[in-house]
Amino acid sequence: MISTPIIVVSGLPRSGTSMMMQMLEAGGVPIYGEARRQADADNPRGYYELARVKELVKTQHHTWLGAAQGKAVKIISPLLQELPGAYAYQVILMNRDLSEVLLSQNKMLARRGQQADKDANDKLRASFAKHLHEIKNWLGQQANFKVIAVDYRQVVNAPAVQAKRLQEFLEINLNLEKMAAVADEKLYRNR
Amino acid sequence: MIDAQIKISVELFGKAEQYARRAGYASVDEFISHILEKELAKLDEAEAQELIKERLKNLGYLS
Repeated sequence: MISTPIIVVSGLPRSGTSMMMQMLEAGGVPIYGEARRQADADNPRGYYELARVKELVKTQHHTWLGAAQGKAVKIISPLLQELPGAYAYQVILMNRDLSEVLLSQNKMLARRGQQADKDANDKLRASFAKHLHEIKNWLGQQANFKVIAVDYRQVVNAPAVQAKRLQEFLEINLNLEKMAAVADEKLYRNR
Repeated sequence: MIDAQIKISVELFGKAEQYARRAGYASVDEFISHILEKELAKLDEAEAQELIKERLKNLGYLS
């Protein structure tokens, strides 16, 4: 086992993963990779997503993860089980109310000219809930995964408290003020 | 609950009856219901996985 953990920010799409990446970056955590998905109206500061992450499900070429040790990388929760067992991971798992997640995803789809009908939403809500339940169970069984659950609403409402929790979890000194400022800005934008 | 009836071949019914007895089911109806429930749960799971995959692709999170 290689000892320096990879910091993985995870969760469903639109559960606050990009905000968490911004917080970590502001706090002084190195971010893995430069070519992030371009910013748009849904994520004005960019998505922190790497094309390589999308390929996790299709390829066995995981060697790039070696360079991500000690850095933060965003990997959505449906891809977590594709991560190789050769590395250690500190997973920050974002939780957000599923109604808010779906609403935000639907807005994003609408901007892309796609519509989600109510029936699909109801089925997806159940599927996402099941997925989250299963992934949490799975994570709990992995010796090389250390996990902290972070609630989106709590980050927005009390960012300093959550920043401190993250510092303790990651066991590194972070700039807590700058981290909190990221979430404060988010709150301001959503008013 | 109102019970529904389905038609299956006599041969298949006979086979199901044998397995139901061996496996300790109270009746062949109970055995077939159990098998159907298990298979439908698998289909539900596959559908759920497909829905998530499709949503991730539409949102640009999967290629």
